[in-house]
Amino acid sequence: MPPIVAVENLRKTYRYVRRKPGLTRLFSRDFQTVEAVAGISFTIAERERVAIIGPNGAGKSTTLKMLSGILEPTGGAAAVLGLVPWKERRALAYRIGVVFGQRSQLWTELPARDSFALLRRIYDVDQQTFTRRLSQLVERFGLGPILDQPVQRMSLGQRMRCEIVASLLHGPALLFLDEPTIGLDITAKAAIRDFIREHAGAEGQTVVLTSHDTRDIELVCDRVIVINEGRIVVDQPTDQLRRQFLGHRLVTLRSAAPSIDLALPGVVRRTSEPHISIFEVDTRTTRVDAVVQAALALGGIEDITIEDPPMEEVVRAIYDANR
Amino acid sequence: MFATYAVNIGAAIRTSLMDRTNFILNSVGMVVNDVFFLALWYMFFAGFREVGGWGLKDVALLLGMIMMVVAISGVFFGGYRDMAATILRGEIDALLTQPRAVLPRLLARESIATAWGDLVMGAWLLVAFAGLGWRDLPLVALGLAAGTTVYVASAVAYASMAFWFAGARSFARDLTDFMLLFSSYPGSIYSGVSKVVAYTLLPAGFVVLTPVALLREPDWQTLAIMIGSALGYAALAAALFNLGLRRYRQGLFAAG
Repeated sequence: MPPIVAVENLRKTYRYVRRKPGLTRLFSRDFQTVEAVAGISFTIAERERVAIIGPNGAGKSTTLKMLSGILEPTGGAAAVLGLVPWKERRALAYRIGVVFGQRSQLWTELPARDSFALLRRIYDVDQQTFTRRLSQLVERFGLGPILDQPVQRMSLGQRMRCEIVASLLHGPALLFLDEPTIGLDITAKAAIRDFIREHAGAEGQTVVLTSHDTRDIELVCDRVIVINEGRIVVDQPTDQLRRQFLGHRLVTLRSAAPSIDLALPGVVRRTSEPHISIFEVDTRTTRVDAVVQAALALGGIEDITIEDPPMEEVVRAIYDANR
Repeated sequence: MFATYAVNIGAAIRTSLMDRTNFILNSVGMVVNDVFFLALWYMFFAGFREVGGWGLKDVALLLGMIMMVVAISGVFFGGYRDMAATILRGEIDALLTQPRAVLPRLLARESIATAWGDLVMGAWLLVAFAGLGWRDLPLVALGLAAGTTVYVASAVAYASMAFWFAGARSFARDLTDFMLLFSSYPGSIYSGVSKVVAYTLLPAGFVVLTPVALLREPDWQTLAIMIGSALGYAALAAALFNLGLRRYRQGLFAAG
């Protein structure tokens, strides 16, 4: 079976004008070239759920923009569902769904239902198919009570669920999600992840996702492509990456005592300052709830925060390990 | 394509009507603004019989037509107003992932509430002061269609500069405002350089002066010029926008 996405030595270079000081800038311009994507190659098979991750400016969004037909590359080749995205943009648009976490495709002042009706016209979906798909998605996503509410009055989580529904109404075979959980609370993130995983599984959709949140990758994707400075650093199954890099949590304890000591296997103290202790927990060795119980047993704990390590840190670790 | 545009602009009009108080205040505010402007002209004609061959009736025709052009543009193509800002904010990315032409989607993004005030005032001027009747309707409709096309096309051309430089956000608006200003005075005041500008860069001549000339003295030559200018400006604006869009998609975009 041919791959859904095939990318060969794809490159994208941006050119910026570097501002010169004083009046000289009126007479001469100094251009600076930045290689956002520096020759990447990969393929994605049908039904795969792939995360493209990397620090800010790594080239993730640029890659997604080229694959969805928004941007033309500087060089290289790509085929998405058998089409060249930047040459066959409109034909491709009927077959892909795109969600930008920080951009909306909904009319914010109108109820989500109105935006969905408009998208039906844009994608030429017949009324019967549209009604069936919308009712399925609304039920699966629990959107019934808010469907007639103006989008601008929704919470960020509700809005994002509507954005994802909007991207699925025309029944795309491939879904591009650019930072779909950015800015959401834990509950909303969980709802989005569950939905993407379950829906894509049930409909046989291929998913390409970029994110800064390691949990998005762990819980949604079965393969990870790590990009740094426009190049692919790692391309491997999530399970493999999880074993090496993703099985860590950061537990921050705020205590009445100046310092807390936890003698548990797989728990390492990181930086600390008076009354705040940060521990890195290897969850393959010790579960986070065991760490929390041990801390509470010591008494005097005022606050507990559990976080994933920042993406930059994970990528740096992956990068260092693969050098 | 027209059905999709109609649904799109229908949503924009509903959006502009969502906040009823705001809509009424905007529309009434525009009517008051227009009344003050007209009062100035009325006082002028109380002292002088005409300006460069244009009497009160001619100026009423001119102002009625430009108000109607601005009103139709605002209600049905209101996205032209913030198009440069929309481009600079990168909001066309979402439109590029959808299977439709980008320019109509941008024009149908917004419907301007104040434009309804202009619509009422323009119609009232044309009927009550310019003395137009039912028999003038075909030429008025044709004149408004041509004028609106040139007005919106020019605004699109100005907004397309945003693909080349970030300062286009306010510059495009300034040029549109200047075009409107140029369209608010009798054609006889323009000569030399100002006349060249009024028939090229700020095409008041084609937005309103040619349609008014056709209504004052209908002839085939004026009709041909009016239709030709509308088609020409529309083609120019579409070409400029598509050139800019290509630049945007190549990543040569000003805002980076």
